Amino acid sequence: MADTIVNGKLAAALEAQSDRLLPCVHCGFCLPACPTYNRLGDENDSPRGRLHLMNAVVEGRLDPASDAFQTHIDRCLGCRACEPVCPSGVEYGALLEVARETANAARPLPRLTRALLTIMGSRPLRSVVFGGGRLLRTLGLARVLADRLPKSGRGGELRQALSMLEASRAGSIPPGPVAHGARGLPQREGSAVRVATLDGCVQAGLYSRVNRATERTLDANGYEVVSMRGQDCCGALHAHAGDLEGARRLAKRNIEAFERSGASTLAVNAAGCGATMTDYGTLFEDDAAWRERAERVAAAVSDVSEVLVQTGPRRGAMVECSVAYDHPCHLMHAQGVVEAPLSVLRAVPGVDVRVVEGADECCGGAGIYAMTHPDLGGEIGEDKVDAVRAQGADMACTPNAGCMMQIGSGLLRRGDDTGTVHPVEILDESYRRAGYYR
Amino acid sequence: MIRSLSPDVIARLRDIVGARNVISEPDRLVVYESDGLTAYRVSPLAVVLPASTEEVSAVVSLLGREGVAVIPRGAGTGLSGGALPTAGGVVVGTARMNRILSIDEADRLARVQPGVINSRLTTATEPYGLYYAPDPSSQSTCTLGGNVAENSGGPHCLKYGVTSRYVTGLTVVMGDGRVVELGGAHRWAAGTPDFLGLFVGSEGCFGIATEIEVRLLPLTEGVRTILGIFETMEAAGRAVTEIIGSGLMPAAVEIVDKATIEAVEASVFAAGYPTDAGAALVIEFDGTEAGLDEEAEAAARCCRANGAREIRSASTEEERVALWKGRKKAFGAMGRIAPDLLVQDATVPRTRLPEVLARITEIGEEYDLKIANVFHAGDGNLHPNILFDRNDQDEVDRVEAASKAIMTLCVQVGGTITGEHGVGVDKRQYMTLVHNETELDMLRRVRRVFDPSGLLNPGKVVPDPDGAVA
Repeated sequence: MADTIVNGKLAAALEAQSDRLLPCVHCGFCLPACPTYNRLGDENDSPRGRLHLMNAVVEGRLDPASDAFQTHIDRCLGCRACEPVCPSGVEYGALLEVARETANAARPLPRLTRALLTIMGSRPLRSVVFGGGRLLRTLGLARVLADRLPKSGRGGELRQALSMLEASRAGSIPPGPVAHGARGLPQREGSAVRVATLDGCVQAGLYSRVNRATERTLDANGYEVVSMRGQDCCGALHAHAGDLEGARRLAKRNIEAFERSGASTLAVNAAGCGATMTDYGTLFEDDAAWRERAERVAAAVSDVSEVLVQTGPRRGAMVECSVAYDHPCHLMHAQGVVEAPLSVLRAVPGVDVRVVEGADECCGGAGIYAMTHPDLGGEIGEDKVDAVRAQGADMACTPNAGCMMQIGSGLLRRGDDTGTVHPVEILDESYRRAGYYR
Repeated sequence: MIRSLSPDVIARLRDIVGARNVISEPDRLVVYESDGLTAYRVSPLAVVLPASTEEVSAVVSLLGREGVAVIPRGAGTGLSGGALPTAGGVVVGTARMNRILSIDEADRLARVQPGVINSRLTTATEPYGLYYAPDPSSQSTCTLGGNVAENSGGPHCLKYGVTSRYVTGLTVVMGDGRVVELGGAHRWAAGTPDFLGLFVGSEGCFGIATEIEVRLLPLTEGVRTILGIFETMEAAGRAVTEIIGSGLMPAAVEIVDKATIEAVEASVFAAGYPTDAGAALVIEFDGTEAGLDEEAEAAARCCRANGAREIRSASTEEERVALWKGRKKAFGAMGRIAPDLLVQDATVPRTRLPEVLARITEIGEEYDLKIANVFHAGDGNLHPNILFDRNDQDEVDRVEAASKAIMTLCVQVGGTITGEHGVGVDKRQYMTLVHNETELDMLRRVRRVFDPSGLLNPGKVVPDPDGAVA
């Protein structure tokens, strides 16, 4: 029976935590770190509670098709804020993905989730959907339609999707002149470190300006940016939803593409993708043929900010603006990267960086969560928007496409269209003004 | 015992607190079957999450009329099973009562709801130059309501005292749902009976504190921390006795033993303690800057005089965190050398520490168990950590027997069965080691004053009159 096999996988995953001596000891240190527990107060919606539900399924005391297991495993944001505070080192994120695979085997995923995963996992579908999205965005229709749809109830998902689409417009980095008499950067001498960049699904579809800024700023910092032909979506959304097979299918394409590229580093400009790709080894833990290759790629993956700070980053021209910076969970909690993006921003003269209060808490975007859970994701998002606005900065700034859209759409709902930017966009503008791109 | 709640009672509970805040499906109650002590599992009939004194009162009086037991629960981090559900009971959780109601800067008081997390109170009062002193190791997650119920301590309670010293007033919902005000910084008439003192530490058996007024302290100006490395536990113990005996007033004096050092250093939490050491002693002084260096130096002299082979000292916050790391991360690190861990808690006169520790080592050998010791040495509060695997029933039985031997030992040398984790269900059987039947009866009668029907957290703390333990 298929579900017995999948239950077996959850059992094996929990057992592996025990073998690695990382079992949950029920201390409860994770409770205050959990955005859903903080808002609902129900321990079923806490990391400890969810681990307890997983254990109950493995012990045969709880049916994986039960409402309790389905609802509370599904309601997790997957932000992994519980991991750094866990004294026992439970690898919660990895367990959650297997628990979701178990839940999906017992009861199929909702249609919306399945549709989103199908789109993200297919290049042709992506190009059609994002092409249409860009058209709606350019014509200003995304905003018009979002305003017309009901605020809650049915249609809330579509409204959120449209409002996120509108929020993916360029942020309000002030334009400035190129420095008088500026000349381009000198030719690179000798051999440079070869860096491949991940295009990503949402980034390629809606944030090509961030991808271009990523390539330009890496190049300006002495890296040789090489193409990674044949690459695909990283599989993060699939893994988070428990579609581990789908995630592996996509991961294999990226592993092959990276191997072909001849690069030694894979720079990623979306925290969510980076978190999944640095865990590619775990994804292929039981696959002898792919495991080592996956681990090698995982070790080569770095957030673009980490790559940039290794060589500086080079200082550019003044860009006078203030930004309210928010830490993406999958950078801070999942990858332990906190300072690098701030260093990138601080390398730009004139930027006033203000880290938002509670920047360590999820914005409610969480991959496709904002669309699949518009109510709770919206509530968490509102708190984040309050915190962002309290900084009174010119614009919000965060290095992850999902968070940029979630925070941006929350700002739009308040009639604030200052937008959200990625740190490399500001660095890029600074370099442009300095004339490095001449 | 009541086996299920009628749909009518559930509907009325939902009316009081809102449908989302009543959990009654059996599948969703599994998560509430244990607190921080997982050796016991009992599912409640329901979990109710009220948001105010009025809601708690309405819930408790409704359940009281139905004859249903009430189990108060904060963050569920307790280590003695104080929030373990009783069969046929309903858990009343304070998770939604997490508002700080007022901070009175001039009078250095704060009023909070019971679900406020200990460390969040200090975060909120720091801008006023104030902090909340009791610092249990779980302070980043445990609630002040739970702290009141357990009369919680922590490393710095050596100098500053435990929770009861800081609680100045309480709003309490009693067992029948009536609401009373106990104490109050401005309204308690000195010389009248101290109901507040009775209530703090009553482990949820006297009522549910729904508002808590606490005293705050001004933030300390300076802090000095030293780490002494010793060849033997005995030498470290002698150093502690000399430090306290010399009249010094450290804020904290903590010891970790050889087994703990080995566990920490083998884990990702490695703190750089030498693994061949017999014991490491962390001593901290705080207060006004003037004199701190002299105090730290005097303590270092006591350590050297008692054979410390190395002294490290910290003056910056970064260095301080590094010295504390081996102590603070001890529990997590132990989870990494054995799948299960029983954190015991007992207190002995400080001067008897060396012999008690030697005897605990023997008990470990006798029952073939690994026991690692971490403790608040300044006040003789021991935490023997017994490492085991719950899948090995024989080992579980030996853990039980060793625990009893340790408790008996601590009482024999003039100590007691708990220092700060409370009695709960786990230590209930040991109450007869420290109290005679007259004293226990007195406890039962005091409990009835607050909770005449006996429906609040039944089966906890006090053993039944015939000595039988349920």
